[in-house]
Amino acid sequence: MKLQIKTMLILLTAFLTIIVLFSGFVYLSVSNYSYEDFYKLLEIRAVTAAKAELDQEGGSEEMIALRNQFFEKLPQEKDRYYRITPGESFTDEAKALDVPVSFFNAVLKGGSGEYSKNSMFYKGIRYKSKLGEYVVVASAQNYFELHHSAYLRRTLILAIGAAFLFSALIALYFSRYVFRPLRKITDRVKEISSENLHLRLENNMNNDELSDLTRTFNNMLDRIETSFETQNNFISNASHELRTPLTAIIGEADVTLSKIRTTDEYIETIKVILDEAETLDRKTKALLFLAQTGFNGKNQKFDKLRIDQLLWDVKETIEKINTNSRIHIDTSLLPENPLKLKIKGNEQLLHLALSNIISNACKYSNNRQVNVSIGASDQNVFIIVKDHGIGIPEKELKYIYDPFFRASNTLKYEGYGIGLPLTRNIIRLHNGEIIVTSMVGEGTTVQINLPIGQFEL
Amino acid sequence: MRVQQFCILNRKTKNAMEKTVLVPTDFSIASLSIVRTYLNAQPAGTKLNIILLHGLHQTDSITSLLFFSKSKMIQELVSKEFDEACHVLRNKFASQINSMRKDVFTGFTQAAFNQYAEAKKIDEVCLPVLYNPKFKNRNSFDLLPYIKASNLAIETIGSEVDVPMPEKGKVAELFFSRVSVS
Repeated sequence: MKLQIKTMLILLTAFLTIIVLFSGFVYLSVSNYSYEDFYKLLEIRAVTAAKAELDQEGGSEEMIALRNQFFEKLPQEKDRYYRITPGESFTDEAKALDVPVSFFNAVLKGGSGEYSKNSMFYKGIRYKSKLGEYVVVASAQNYFELHHSAYLRRTLILAIGAAFLFSALIALYFSRYVFRPLRKITDRVKEISSENLHLRLENNMNNDELSDLTRTFNNMLDRIETSFETQNNFISNASHELRTPLTAIIGEADVTLSKIRTTDEYIETIKVILDEAETLDRKTKALLFLAQTGFNGKNQKFDKLRIDQLLWDVKETIEKINTNSRIHIDTSLLPENPLKLKIKGNEQLLHLALSNIISNACKYSNNRQVNVSIGASDQNVFIIVKDHGIGIPEKELKYIYDPFFRASNTLKYEGYGIGLPLTRNIIRLHNGEIIVTSMVGEGTTVQINLPIGQFEL
Repeated sequence: MRVQQFCILNRKTKNAMEKTVLVPTDFSIASLSIVRTYLNAQPAGTKLNIILLHGLHQTDSITSLLFFSKSKMIQELVSKEFDEACHVLRNKFASQINSMRKDVFTGFTQAAFNQYAEAKKIDEVCLPVLYNPKFKNRNSFDLLPYIKASNLAIETIGSEVDVPMPEKGKVAELFFSRVSVS
């Protein structure tokens, strides 16, 4: 979950940077504004004080009354007046006030000056009264600096803390949310091993990158499972198909050797043995042909091929392995346009899949006639295999694609439950669909839809 | 002048070979099996226009009148399998089928049906022996009384035995239809 933590941290840092920048900006601009505001206030105080104290003329009585009544006393407010004598500096006064001389110089030169120290604020102005020129210095403690700024700082720090917690929660949730499907995929993939290769990742049909990943992964599983199963399939077929003639050969030879026979009898026996050996040879060839795909992994090329042609080939192969099978290929719905029968596929894989389906149909119907039909719509080629065999119990239909599953009514027949899962995988690899419908005692119908290759003439 | 003559001639020959067939359907694959058997029985060279007709009552509300859309109604009724099966038939009988259309009949009266038949220039109605439509929609209705009461030619097709089949509702049903069990 390293990526998750990384995402969380990135989100968190981004949140935090924004919040800190914001609060810093707010703090600075507010305090700056309040300083300027306070200096303005002091300036007004200085001017009014100078007017009241220095210009002792008519109306100043009222001015003083007005000032006392309406001007709220600032903490430690004090007004001072210094007469300006040309050629003299204010060094002593500055020392007494504990302000730098430059402050007075600025007042003398520019008409006004500002100075602040430990929340004491000084504002000096140059005032021209009737008695002469004065430097008026108003000083007071900044109330904002004393109380408000501390409050603002506290509020901002608290807000940052709260926002940090909040954004941490959001980042945690978001990173979880983003990586949930990935974690799901990981968990599911961990479950899949060589014993349960038939499991697949569930895919919600969104078109995002994750479902792309899921699809790719499922596709890979299809291929892996197919190659696993082709080998298993060969072994199961071989053990079943090859044992029958071998048993016959051994039995025949055994019986004949039990005592001395006539020449005619020996000839008869050897004929039987030869016959069985020929069957064995034929079967081995057919089986090896079927198994070819499983063993050389590079042979997975998809070419264009004609379905009807393939079906005739399959029929031939099955009749080589099982001479009693009766396969009837029904072409009554064959489309008039042969292009509609061409699909893009791997001939050997499809050969294997179809021969599995059709030989199963022969096996479970005790070699009764099996009908194989071909048809094509504009998108799909349909191959339909119908037998009149024992059928599959309805309750077990959903398990037929599980490897090694065998229906409850198949005990009499040899088999390993490998063929159908393999077939489905091969059909899946071709983007096709396989539908099995069945009625116990009536027979089974397998419908295979394969997408048409859309070839030009 | 000559061109016009040719046109008339062309239309005449076309008319001689062309036929419009109405098939009442419940949009099940079984009803398409009838079409298949019918097509098999046609002499080579006939051009057929097939109309798969479904009876569907309309509600009387003004909104359903306002938003009346035949194609949408058909889309709701028809399954993907049915469409695929139609394509299979069209591909198989590509040279015989001129057109194959799905349509709904929403009229109430016999006159409306007769009008419809006349407007579509229907020559023949194709009916299975075992006519037993199963409707999924509760507004669907049986067209048989209207067909019987009209004076259209009726071709009855199929056998009377009903074979149980596992592949009901799948495209596979078309391939082993009960009427064509050989």
